[in-house]
Amino acid sequence: MGTLVGILPGLGPSATISLLLPMIFNTPAVSSIIMLAGICYGAQYGGSTTSILLNIPGEASSVITCLDGHQMAKQGRAGPALGIAAFGSFIAGTMGIVGLMLFAPTLAKFALRFGPPEFFSLALMSLTLVTYVSRGSLIQSLIMACVGLIMSMVGMDPITSRPRFTFGLSSLLDGFELVYVAMGFFGLSEVLSSLGQALKQEIIDSKIKNLLPTRQDWKDSAKPIARGTVLGFFMGILPGFGQAITTFVSYAIEKKFSKHPEQFGTGRIEGVAGPEAANNAASSGTFIPLLSLGIPVNPSTAILMGALLILGLQPGPLLITNRPDLFWGVVASMYIGNVMLVMLNLPLIGLWVQMLKVPYSLLYVLIVLLCQIGAYSVNNDVNDVLLINIFGLAGYLMKRYEFEGAPLILGLVLGPMLESSLRRALMMSDGSPMIFITRPLSASFLIVAVFFLISPLFTRGRIGKRAVEAGD
Amino acid sequence: MMRELKSGFFFFALSLLVIWESLRVELGTSREPGSGFLPFCVGLVLCALSVVLVYRGWGVRKSQKPHSRRVILALASLFVYSLVLDTLGFVMATFFLVGILFHLGQPRQWWLLIGMSAVVTFLAYLVFGILLHVYFPRGFLGI
Repeated sequence: MGTLVGILPGLGPSATISLLLPMIFNTPAVSSIIMLAGICYGAQYGGSTTSILLNIPGEASSVITCLDGHQMAKQGRAGPALGIAAFGSFIAGTMGIVGLMLFAPTLAKFALRFGPPEFFSLALMSLTLVTYVSRGSLIQSLIMACVGLIMSMVGMDPITSRPRFTFGLSSLLDGFELVYVAMGFFGLSEVLSSLGQALKQEIIDSKIKNLLPTRQDWKDSAKPIARGTVLGFFMGILPGFGQAITTFVSYAIEKKFSKHPEQFGTGRIEGVAGPEAANNAASSGTFIPLLSLGIPVNPSTAILMGALLILGLQPGPLLITNRPDLFWGVVASMYIGNVMLVMLNLPLIGLWVQMLKVPYSLLYVLIVLLCQIGAYSVNNDVNDVLLINIFGLAGYLMKRYEFEGAPLILGLVLGPMLESSLRRALMMSDGSPMIFITRPLSASFLIVAVFFLISPLFTRGRIGKRAVEAGD
Repeated sequence: MMRELKSGFFFFALSLLVIWESLRVELGTSREPGSGFLPFCVGLVLCALSVVLVYRGWGVRKSQKPHSRRVILALASLFVYSLVLDTLGFVMATFFLVGILFHLGQPRQWWLLIGMSAVVTFLAYLVFGILLHVYFPRGFLGI
């Protein structure tokens, strides 16, 4: 079910866990939590499938996989893309479980050292990655990131609950759901742009080559998977960050380490391997604060915490001691679930790849319909269907004017964290911005942020210009 | 007008709107930043970036090709679909939308179009409405 949830746009793990909550009343506690936890990490597998095949991110954390994964599919390499996503997820998920098992209490204490200044600096550092996730103009990428930040501030102020940027519209009080924006900007806009040209026969322009990753693919992916695993696991522990941001950070790191950064966005397997590994490692990492300290770090674990309370269990530092069967039950289920997921997904690769042979004049209708239903299914609200079409139009215009969607998504995801931590930090320091520099962790992140921001100015003159000229 | 110039002006106007709204909801103070604090800062950055974009686009004379008729019709269909979904219900609205999109993708004979639309609508309802329990609007016909 987790895989299916990941594949279907709109129906995320949080919504699915909520729908299944009533089932836990008649199920033993450990079994209930294992079932719900399975949806959390299972969804990470499924989300990449539609990203790679159709350029529709199944989950927010699959957005970055669209960049190179779909390009690989267009080149007839959907199989290796899906394969490396599955294997990378399996390896990262397994290593994440080992980390959870061995270091849960210690790592949870480390996460507690993060306060508002550290979160702000980390969010700012993540935002500067916009310079790495985009291929085109830096100015246009920064504009998109600003637009994403502004969109994240539509709705209720997180601190004062005062409405802003709603212009009297009650439908804007809840802000913009990331899933609509992602589906509209990536899925719908791609379809509309294709309609504007001579409609292709199929998505792929060339013959399908290999269903599984080759030896070279493995060689290229090994280090990205390792880096993504470590990065995703540690970032998953931090409250509020979410898997989506870890995938952006991983992508930027892989681009930085790559010998061919100018090729990112054209179908580099590292652009799939790293983020997918980070994604799955992060989903293991999110269980650490929940099981060790009783602190949920994202909506899915928050609902899981609700499930623990319904079952009469007290989340907190004593949960592991008082209910070791629960902790080890979840860990064991993660091991088994990981193996089952790769066994389930690998044989399906051949089937998924055949989807690309469906004539595009038929396939695009299914893509559009999937987006409409996906948007509706989030809240069972027809206004959400209108919203996704508005984003589809915006995404189409954005493509036409050569603006990229990834920086906007990055801004949208980071905005809430950036704003609330900035304001809290300034309140803590009585208005003094020195708090961001005097705290060592915060200062370190700011230094890295400055580095990320200025380093492309030295390399972009060679790399970006070459990439843009090659595109022309 | 040219691509960068048009988009530059658009984002400049957007930045002014953001700054105006930020001032309306109040910036607060550095000790207690208000709702408009960060939006105001972002609005200023956006303003500066859009000015740079306008400057870059000034004098560029590369024209753009017009929007495709197919795209305009597809977009119109999608917007009409979202507006009539509640009134007509999921089944009817989707049937018409799918039919129009199939026709836009590749003109087909009417009986084939109706058949394909009916099959796709039925399958969508079966998978999402029945198997996944998504509660679709029923419309005035109750279907």
